[in-house]
Amino acid sequence: MKQGLRLFAPLLQPVAAVLVGLLVGAAAILIAGGEIWTTYAEMWKGAFGSFYFVTSTLARSTPIILVGLGAAFAFRAGFFNLGAPGQMIFGALAASLTGLYLPGPGWLICIAAILAGILAGGLWSVMAGYFDARFAVNLLISTLLLNYIADLFAGYLVSYPLRDTSGSAAMAQSAMLDSSVWLPKLFRGMPLHIGFLFAALLAVVIYVLLKRTRVGYEVRMLGGNPLFALYGGINRGTMMLGAMFFSGGLAGLGGAVEVLGSQYRYIDGALTSADYAWTGIMAALLARSNPLGTLLAAVFLAALQTGAMGVERNTEVPLEVGAIIQAALILFISAQFTYDFWKRKRGSKSHGTAV
Amino acid sequence: MEQLFDLALLNTALRVLAPILLAALGGALCARVGLFNVGLEGFMLLGAFAAIAGNYFFGNVLLAILFAVLVVLLFSLLFAYLSIHLKANVIVVGIAMNALAAGLTTFSLRAIFDVKGAFYDKEMVGLPKWDIPVLESVPGLGPILSGHTPLVYLAFLVAGLMWFYFYRTKNGFRFLASGENPLAASSLGIRVRRYQYGAVLASGVLCALAGAQLSLGQLTMFTEGMTDGRGFIALVATMLGQSGPLGVTAASLLFGFMEALSIRFQGLALPTHFTQMLPYLVTIAAMFFFKDKSFLKDAQKQGTSSR
Repeated sequence: MKQGLRLFAPLLQPVAAVLVGLLVGAAAILIAGGEIWTTYAEMWKGAFGSFYFVTSTLARSTPIILVGLGAAFAFRAGFFNLGAPGQMIFGALAASLTGLYLPGPGWLICIAAILAGILAGGLWSVMAGYFDARFAVNLLISTLLLNYIADLFAGYLVSYPLRDTSGSAAMAQSAMLDSSVWLPKLFRGMPLHIGFLFAALLAVVIYVLLKRTRVGYEVRMLGGNPLFALYGGINRGTMMLGAMFFSGGLAGLGGAVEVLGSQYRYIDGALTSADYAWTGIMAALLARSNPLGTLLAAVFLAALQTGAMGVERNTEVPLEVGAIIQAALILFISAQFTYDFWKRKRGSKSHGTAV
Repeated sequence: MEQLFDLALLNTALRVLAPILLAALGGALCARVGLFNVGLEGFMLLGAFAAIAGNYFFGNVLLAILFAVLVVLLFSLLFAYLSIHLKANVIVVGIAMNALAAGLTTFSLRAIFDVKGAFYDKEMVGLPKWDIPVLESVPGLGPILSGHTPLVYLAFLVAGLMWFYFYRTKNGFRFLASGENPLAASSLGIRVRRYQYGAVLASGVLCALAGAQLSLGQLTMFTEGMTDGRGFIALVATMLGQSGPLGVTAASLLFGFMEALSIRFQGLALPTHFTQMLPYLVTIAAMFFFKDKSFLKDAQKQGTSSR
């Protein structure tokens, strides 16, 4: 019995948080004048109702997983990298530019575009890390501000020099990539592309990396107990730049696969309005920076969003009910309510770990 | 260049700096008690929405502002409870509060007004503009300082009052002490938690006013995500100003001026993308020169921040 409890104890908190999120969502549905059960039923149908919806949920989760893994990695190392939106934008931009202008066979361009995405996101991220390590410019703030700069810069490029003038579309967007460069779909006629497999595989790889390797151990030490890490001879500056590059590179990869697998062009504001990056950060928070947990949380949050779209299609309740559930969930998780609350009550001291 | 710099530019600067200053003073209060409030952006957005909603329901600007204050006060109480009482990580809570505010405002926009994107009603009256009798006629100063909404003047008044409170009152000393060294302060019988709650709630009130100035000050409308990073700019102003009222005011003046300049540049042939980038670029540049040491200390104390 006791052992069973210990096995399920880590699950208790996320499950309780999801329940609270759904309760808050129910309140929002009532306020909007909807029917709770029908709305949640529509939400379920919108996310998992048919094979098509399942694949579109998974397709939506793909960039979220990648950004989430990047955020989780940085959090693990003890750095608050809030620059995922900007890093993702640069990744997407670099991937679409490479896809448009690099000559060669399609599969090669596709790989080059992915690498360019990783590099662009990573460098944009490492810049903030360098400013912090070298000039003590606060990372939290600089990564936040760089998001706006990246968004505006990319917006400028696709509004003026790179604007697609062939179509009649009024949107600011780059030209469409050649179909030979696209990431292959997993099922014919379904939105899910091979990027999802990359993302899932990376989650496992990062999990093993953190758990089983020396670098992973150092990263965890640095995040868990910086003083001890320093004492143990870990070079904080180098580790920071490495962690930031890795973290930003994953966000950049998220942007790249979104362009190569789903949108096939850079559309101004498409990444920010879909809120992939912040959702990814939330997935990392929800899973308390566990890579495998981040994978699950990202799929869950994506389901919440595609489900909310179903709700909007078929009921009077607005789509943002999903966002409200999501935020309530994170608040609840952050408070470490259920399980840590009881521990605190019993008198053991709370620990101030990052995530 | 003459078209670029004139008195109207400074007038615009005062107008656009007011929301930043109000929120930044709120941020400074929180920073001084050791709580780094990333949620300013969300507080402000909710304030902007509640002010418009209040104005629509009550048809009265004063009641609208009171309504906004009340709503954000409740919201900040949640922030305070989670971060002070339950000891949740302040930054995580702040991020979640921002997300919650974004979701809540868009949701309510649809649920209450049944519109998407923006709500505008030409029946609504915005904040009045005060022409200060004597000041108005002073050449040079008059066009800059006169004709603003009461909230603009209030922002500077609050900055002055905060300076007085911090450095000239006993209660203010206790407030600062409870942030400087919570343990020592509580051993002297200072109720540290009470000051922390006070700081967060006060920042809620100030952000509500900041939001009201945004939505009711000029165009009398609410658009989704209309704070557009101003809460984060305010956060930076807090840091640049070393969380002191005068420094925060100076930093906010800088940002207000940059924003006014970027609005002015839009009239020229320059692509708006670059002019909009200006405040963020200047902020980052400014962070190379001014480093908030007290913030670093707080961050280290918490052991949670970026360094």
